[in-house]
Amino acid sequence: MRRIAWLVIIVCAAQAAMWGTAAAQDSQFGVRGLGTPGRYESVRARSTGGAFTPFDPLSPLTEAPLADLAALTATAMEGTSYRQADVGGTTTSLRSTRFPLLNVAGRVAPRLAVAAGFTTYLDKSWDVQLRDSSQLRGALERYTDELTSDGSVADLRLAAASRLTRRIAIGAGIHLLSGSTRQTAERRFDDTTFHTVQQLAEARYSGFGVSGSILIGIAPGLSLSGWVRSDNRLRAKVADTTSALTDLPRGVGGGVLLAPSPSVKIGGSVAWRSWSRAGPGAFDTWSWAGGAEFGTGRMPLRLGVRGGQLPFGPGTQAPTEIAAAAGTGRTFAQGRASMDVGIERLERRGTGLTERVWTVLLGITVRP
Amino acid sequence: MRWRRLALIGAALLATACVEELAAPGECPDYCPSNQLTIVDTVLGNNISRDSAFRGYVLPNQSAVMLAANLPGVDGRPIFRMNGPGSRSRINPNDTTTGAIRSSDSARLQLYIIRRDSAATNLTLRFFRLPKTIDSTTTFADVNPFTDSLVRRPLNIDTLLAQPNRKDTVTGDSAVVDTINHRLVLSLKFDSTAARYIAADSGSVAYGIRISADSLASIAIGKGTLGPTLTWYIRLDSSNVRVPRTLGTFSAAFASTVRNPEAPPIDSTLAVGGVPSARSLLRVAFPKFIRDSSQIIRATLILVPAVPARGALIDSFTVEVHTVLVDLGAKSPIAVDATRTDTTMIHIGATDTVRIEVTNLLQFWAADSTQPTSLVLRARDEAQSFAEVRFYPSIAAALERPKLEVTFVRRFPFGAR
Repeated sequence: MRRIAWLVIIVCAAQAAMWGTAAAQDSQFGVRGLGTPGRYESVRARSTGGAFTPFDPLSPLTEAPLADLAALTATAMEGTSYRQADVGGTTTSLRSTRFPLLNVAGRVAPRLAVAAGFTTYLDKSWDVQLRDSSQLRGALERYTDELTSDGSVADLRLAAASRLTRRIAIGAGIHLLSGSTRQTAERRFDDTTFHTVQQLAEARYSGFGVSGSILIGIAPGLSLSGWVRSDNRLRAKVADTTSALTDLPRGVGGGVLLAPSPSVKIGGSVAWRSWSRAGPGAFDTWSWAGGAEFGTGRMPLRLGVRGGQLPFGPGTQAPTEIAAAAGTGRTFAQGRASMDVGIERLERRGTGLTERVWTVLLGITVRP
Repeated sequence: MRWRRLALIGAALLATACVEELAAPGECPDYCPSNQLTIVDTVLGNNISRDSAFRGYVLPNQSAVMLAANLPGVDGRPIFRMNGPGSRSRINPNDTTTGAIRSSDSARLQLYIIRRDSAATNLTLRFFRLPKTIDSTTTFADVNPFTDSLVRRPLNIDTLLAQPNRKDTVTGDSAVVDTINHRLVLSLKFDSTAARYIAADSGSVAYGIRISADSLASIAIGKGTLGPTLTWYIRLDSSNVRVPRTLGTFSAAFASTVRNPEAPPIDSTLAVGGVPSARSLLRVAFPKFIRDSSQIIRATLILVPAVPARGALIDSFTVEVHTVLVDLGAKSPIAVDATRTDTTMIHIGATDTVRIEVTNLLQFWAADSTQPTSLVLRARDEAQSFAEVRFYPSIAAALERPKLEVTFVRRFPFGAR
């Protein structure tokens, strides 16, 4: 057992050494908008398509499930995406590794649990290359543009939850949105008489949000969860000057979890977010998920599907996405450490763009 | 079991290893950032003012070469002086006993012609003896006509080069063509008449050279390490017997060029080049909207010649544009490092508008707003050619005055949605 615990630690250390910025899954749909919203899910919840997210104490979507956390728990996850973007008849293979979640939670009083951590609110990493020409000094000058953004906006959450009764638990959280992106704009002319244009800036983002949630035990093996969240505005600053102020969405959602036996859990969830507040090119989104977990203990099997809309895209309709996920987990060191793995296949569709993504997920949870 | 676990962990590491490949072609406008780089091209026609030309930066005696030319507008003649060996010399190298120098048998003059037009036919050099008093104040009028007559037969370069092994067995002259450095090395024999040893002058001699050719004649003769040298073959008095001896090689103690007419006076045009060398100073009102909020990607200085650049074709020369470290008018110290210098070639006879890329100079100004925004035009090899170009100044008509064409990029609106 000790060997396995050591192996878990080695994997954690190796991955930590390789981890880059904290971010979620990138998408070309986010290039023109604010970015790609994060998923607020641990590996376990995401392996069920997100269906278990409203009931998962280690997923930062809701706070109420924290009330049932028995001990201090820390979790982190990594996701590596292999993405194919088919745009304008051209297919491009893209890859990225992200570190979208770190969460620490524990009980501080008999009826009070708190959690702190961060997750990705908006991923803003992309790199767009363009080939074009323009008339300069009486001649057609061809050039290549490369516009990049590298960074994200993180959601730093401080949450508290309490079980009011045997059936009802509630929670609330405050969310500090903070992050930065290193943005570059480069133009290289074919005619080298024109010097290469290279501009860069670091944009800093800040915002604030509050959330609340409730977890209701309807009957043994049947639970309902509901949550609401409101974020104010995302302020973008470049060189201490506010360059953009964007309204952020309000959201509401809920889920149901049915556990007919200790080894079978079936759940579903739904969420709505008012992303259209962000301005032109943004849409309100619905998302849904359904999933199940079979087995307990050593290696449960998790399955799930999800679908919904993306908040940013061209045209008059929101792009859509649909995904299927699977995963499992393993507990080590007498239950003090566990590793969850998952895999997800995702397809996003919008006007003129289709993205197909394989994502490999790895999560580490420690209960010291 | 252990290996299976390790394999599983390795597979997990590989699958989630840190990779980053985000570059994708953009499909605009749908999947591009909403903002793009904006490029502006503008001609600053009235931003150059208070421009002036000045002459006298490099004088003929300070030049790296001596110039000989026989052109319609200028007659240039090299003059040089070799200080003499003195009145006595060692009779034997290993003996300190000296003897009086009684006369010369001959001398051998070596010259480096470092620039010539190989197409110029019948290029001929004529050597004249000059008074040993020549110095930097000597003018063409002081030495014209050269005070002594011709000291030796004129040297026809073509004839010498046509000789077997480029050696003239009659005159004793020879030539070596250095094709690597594009030089012609002449070794010329001066007989006792041409190389007279005058005891009163301690053997000091001075010569002047005049050239002619079938077409425009213009050459440059080396100075310094490539300057003229004279090897004396003399007779010493050794116990009343005149014995032949070879003295060492003497380099020119003074070398310069005289010209007729003198360099034309500076007028309102912007003169560059010539001997003594002329420079022009242009003061640029650098717009703040370019300096403060944009990135310059190309800047071109546009100059219109007021007259065609005069000289022989071989005299085409390079004009440099420098920024100045501080604007002190004619005495402005220029920045000579390569990052703050731009060049263009001036072709003799051409009247085409001259365009000089000065992007790096304006970028330098944009980066450091404390720098004076003045430009100095000068020949790269100052006073090494009689060729000179004159450009219209800022007080000329709109089409002729100096202009700056600047292409710049406005600040990208980072952070905007």
